[in-house]
Amino acid sequence: MNSHAIEVTGLSKRFGEVEAVRAASFRAEPGRVTGFLGPNGAGKSTTLAMVLGLSRPDAGTARIGGAAYRDLDDPTGTVGAVLDSTGAHPSMTGRGHLRAYAELGGHARRRVDDVALTTGITEYLDRRIRGYSTGMRRRLALATALLGEPSVLVLDEPSNGLDPAGIVWLREFLRAFAGRGGTVLLSSHVLTELQHSIDDLVLIDRGRVAWSGPLDEFTGAASSLESAFLAHTMEVHP
Amino acid sequence: MIALVRGELAKLLATRLPVATLLTALGCGLGFTALLALAGPGNSTPPLPGIETPEGVSLVVGMGGLLLFVPALIGTIAVTGEYRHRSIGTTFLTVPRRGRALVAKLVVFGGLGFAYGAVAAVGTAVALVGSAALRGVALGVPAGALVAMLAQLALAAAVYAVLGVAIGALARQQLVAVGIVLGYFYFLEHVLLLIPGVNVIHPFLPGGATAALTDFTFLSDAIGAQLPISMPVAISPIGGALVLLGYAAIAAVVAVAVPLRRDVR
Ligand SMILES: Nc1ncnc2c1ncn2[C@@H]1O[C@H](COP(=O)(O)OP(=O)(O)OP(=O)(O)O)[C@@H](O)[C@H]1O
Ligand SMILES: [Mg+2]
Repeated sequence: MNSHAIEVTGLSKRFGEVEAVRAASFRAEPGRVTGFLGPNGAGKSTTLAMVLGLSRPDAGTARIGGAAYRDLDDPTGTVGAVLDSTGAHPSMTGRGHLRAYAELGGHARRRVDDVALTTGITEYLDRRIRGYSTGMRRRLALATALLGEPSVLVLDEPSNGLDPAGIVWLREFLRAFAGRGGTVLLSSHVLTELQHSIDDLVLIDRGRVAWSGPLDEFTGAASSLESAFLAHTMEVHP
Repeated sequence: MIALVRGELAKLLATRLPVATLLTALGCGLGFTALLALAGPGNSTPPLPGIETPEGVSLVVGMGGLLLFVPALIGTIAVTGEYRHRSIGTTFLTVPRRGRALVAKLVVFGGLGFAYGAVAAVGTAVALVGSAALRGVALGVPAGALVAMLAQLALAAAVYAVLGVAIGALARQQLVAVGIVLGYFYFLEHVLLLIPGVNVIHPFLPGGATAALTDFTFLSDAIGAQLPISMPVAISPIGGALVLLGYAAIAAVVAVAVPLRRDVR
């Protein structure tokens, strides 16, 4: 697997009065799972949309393997992403959707069956997406992200809507992905969800990166992840 | 670029839109024309020319031109559907050079519009020939002229589909975009025709240019005969074609350029 780090430098974005992201800087390294943690409205989704070129920063840059997303030679062959805006047309079948995006991204058609198998959606691949449950849609979005065999994964709250077995499966999958040298950046607002699945932590609060570094350094001083989280978010905004 | 067009085509073929489009085209072409050709002329006030006259054929084909908002609507629904169902993020992640994604979309939907036009044209021809045979009359125009007229209409359908894609890419909100398409082609353009002074621009609007393409002057003639309004002078069929192509070019530029900088969420 090629290795590509994600480097975010001074990213800022404002929506009218709301400073959604303020000079955020952090890195996500190959071979590691980086958790992007913050309360609701902290600016996680806004940051990830800027990393992927879907939204334009007011200032700062985001690079993946040294290049902006839109300048990548093979974008979906480098990065796989699941965001709120990566939906699917309800009148397509899962297979129709995956085939179309494989074609659009220039990936082999056999990848459709591969990614369906990986994400466990083979069984309902020929059903219309209209009838998919929330968890099935999440899996389909992840399958779409995997079509190009990327070496970087950017996932916004990927376990939303997954059942407990799905959450365990996703954790194992991401660990194995990083184990093969891949870069994983995943956001969450649930502390405990990240505890067992990440190596590094980027903490974001009200648009600012409040802390970043290896997870064990974060929890080291505090009795639990939760108290560390509270301590750090209070430190920045007393 | 060819891969992108194939990708957009695969997306289109994965939905039910193409089948719905062609069925609509067949319904519009065959059904609507047969209705007009068999029942319409003679029974209406004022009586319309029958299909045994050139004016009658031109009238029936031109009425078909009034249904060109359908391919525009299809283009609009397809693009706004991507925003509505939030697959636009998936599309722009796959093709981060958004302009290229939209060019591919324009090519595919221009093609679908043409397919709509072609099916509707064949349907119209069948209905015309069939009606003439049923009523025991000869068609008012030679076969060659009819084919030329219908081919122009099919090309106009492609232009309308491109216009629809551009309106959808601009408005993004599905209901708003559909409202614009229907409101404009169904209502505003016809209203403009009624305003003295303003109506001189009508031949240069998409609907007026389409009418010129098929030499369809029925609407303006009828209005001119009923109301004391002077009607604008129609432009030649070639002029109409050029005006339509101009609109397609402007629409294409707008559809490609506008979404480039906008945020997707
Ligand atoms: N398009 C927009 N227009 C206006 N405000 C926005 C827009 N997008 C985001 N915001 C605001 O920016 C801030 C950050 O939002 P964002 O969605 O990035 O948070 P988040 O960390 O992903 O939250 P959550 O955990 O709820 O998903 C919020 O205050 C939000 O209301
Ligand atoms: Mg979010």
